[in-house]
Amino acid sequence: MSSPDVALVGLGMTVMSLTPGRTPQELAREAVGFALVDAGLERGDVDGLLVGTSQGVRPDRLSVTFASQGGFSDLRLLEHIEIKGATTIAMIQRAALAIQAGAARTVVCVFADAPLVAGKGAGSTYAHSGGHSGVRGLERASGVLGSVPTYALLAQRWMHVTGADVDDLCAMTTTTRAWALGNPAAVVRTPLDADGYHASPMIAEPLRRLDCARPVNGAVAVVVSGDSAVGHRTRIAVRGAGREHPVRHRRAGAESWFGGGRRAVDDALANAGMARTDLDVAELYDPFSVVTLMLLEEYALTGGRPAGEFVRAGETGPAGTLPTNTGGGQLSGFYLQGMTPLAEAIVQLRGDGGERQVAGATTALVGGIGGRLDHHAALVLERAA
Amino acid sequence: MTTMLTSDWLLADSLAPDVSDDLLAPLYAAGARHELVLPFCGDCSLPLDLDQQVCDGCGAAEIAWRPVEKAGTVHSVTVMHRREPDLVVASDPYPILDVELASGHRLIMTTHARSESVPRVGDRVTVAFRELGGVPIPSATPAAPRHTVPLTTEARS
Repeated sequence: MSSPDVALVGLGMTVMSLTPGRTPQELAREAVGFALVDAGLERGDVDGLLVGTSQGVRPDRLSVTFASQGGFSDLRLLEHIEIKGATTIAMIQRAALAIQAGAARTVVCVFADAPLVAGKGAGSTYAHSGGHSGVRGLERASGVLGSVPTYALLAQRWMHVTGADVDDLCAMTTTTRAWALGNPAAVVRTPLDADGYHASPMIAEPLRRLDCARPVNGAVAVVVSGDSAVGHRTRIAVRGAGREHPVRHRRAGAESWFGGGRRAVDDALANAGMARTDLDVAELYDPFSVVTLMLLEEYALTGGRPAGEFVRAGETGPAGTLPTNTGGGQLSGFYLQGMTPLAEAIVQLRGDGGERQVAGATTALVGGIGGRLDHHAALVLERAA
Repeated sequence: MTTMLTSDWLLADSLAPDVSDDLLAPLYAAGARHELVLPFCGDCSLPLDLDQQVCDGCGAAEIAWRPVEKAGTVHSVTVMHRREPDLVVASDPYPILDVELASGHRLIMTTHARSESVPRVGDRVTVAFRELGGVPIPSATPAAPRHTVPLTTEARS
């Protein structure tokens, strides 16, 4: 996985929309078009296509039929990848492995999602989804509607175990918002202070609306290539990847959400021959503010300090030791699952971050989590010299 | 506010789980007798997740649903303020508890009745059954009211 030959050479993003509209297929088509232009390629230059979407609330999700819908020529690699929030990193990892094995040369990875549908708010759509069978059916019959209450339980437990408090959530949320102010693609770009945070409506204690990601309709496409002659002038080398899928059981006397992710980061760094201190930026999966705090500790990115203290000291901000979620993350930027942190890492390593650019950023950690912290994936990227 | 068909204090009947052919059918069948049954490994008796098909301890595939003590301790608890209009009939925020049962299992529950107080992590609860659309749903009753805090409290002292 450490081959410098595999690089991210194209990036395409649609507008991230807070209003219903286009289908996942239309969004994917547009993102792929932008990515190919960005990479200076035609569809005929592509011999691999990986598609992803959320498990989602609508039936017309993106699938491998996008190969024909999207106008591709004959392919050597075509898969739908689905590991919940770890999907995007798994796609890049899959593409890199295929390229290194000679099974493909240039692979388009596209993720499109359109959870916002006409006539309903996002919260309402999620509250009505989940079905009536199995464990989810029982949980919904107990009032667990949407994904917020589950993460609220996780947050309450985490705060109980670690001593973190709501001020830590507030600091994470306001710090992330501050980053969004410099990102033209962020969907929320109004300044936020502690008073504004505490005025946000409570959804499920301790999580307020502003502790939760902003779902959007949108798509991002990334071109991965082993051909050093093609692509954007600034190549982003895929230096390492790691995964960990802790198989959890819910039993009395034990934790069921924490631990089991650090190895993904350890392995990605080992592939890259890097240490945590070599990382210039971290782009983590932050569907809820509490998750970023948990992951900073889980991935051992705080030098042993409690995550809340680390964030309140400004270490994840522009002048900190590890600028984190520099585009506003999923909280204030946009929630397009694993593409949110990946796209921001590419922007930063290209030096295209504008007002939010971290000076001299050449290395990035990209994180992905899925389920209830059941899947961890990590990617180490480096701007090619 | 729209009228919703329900006899439950919290939710509309439309959220009643499917019972026939469901993985959790034994739980619902026993609940009708006010009995709490949960899955164990038929071989080594390890308490299993509700939807587990093979024991992670010994590899056996035989699941034994057995009656357990209707008591446990709160592992985590939240108060849900967002109330989806078509699904939630309660007019106030409601608790959701993640309970460690004496049997070794964990179970998500709301409270048995509309409650003025919410248990905290570590508090003991007993288990009874709400009825939602004719389906018995495990629910928690605080066993030690003196440890409870007011519903709207967000403090974590």
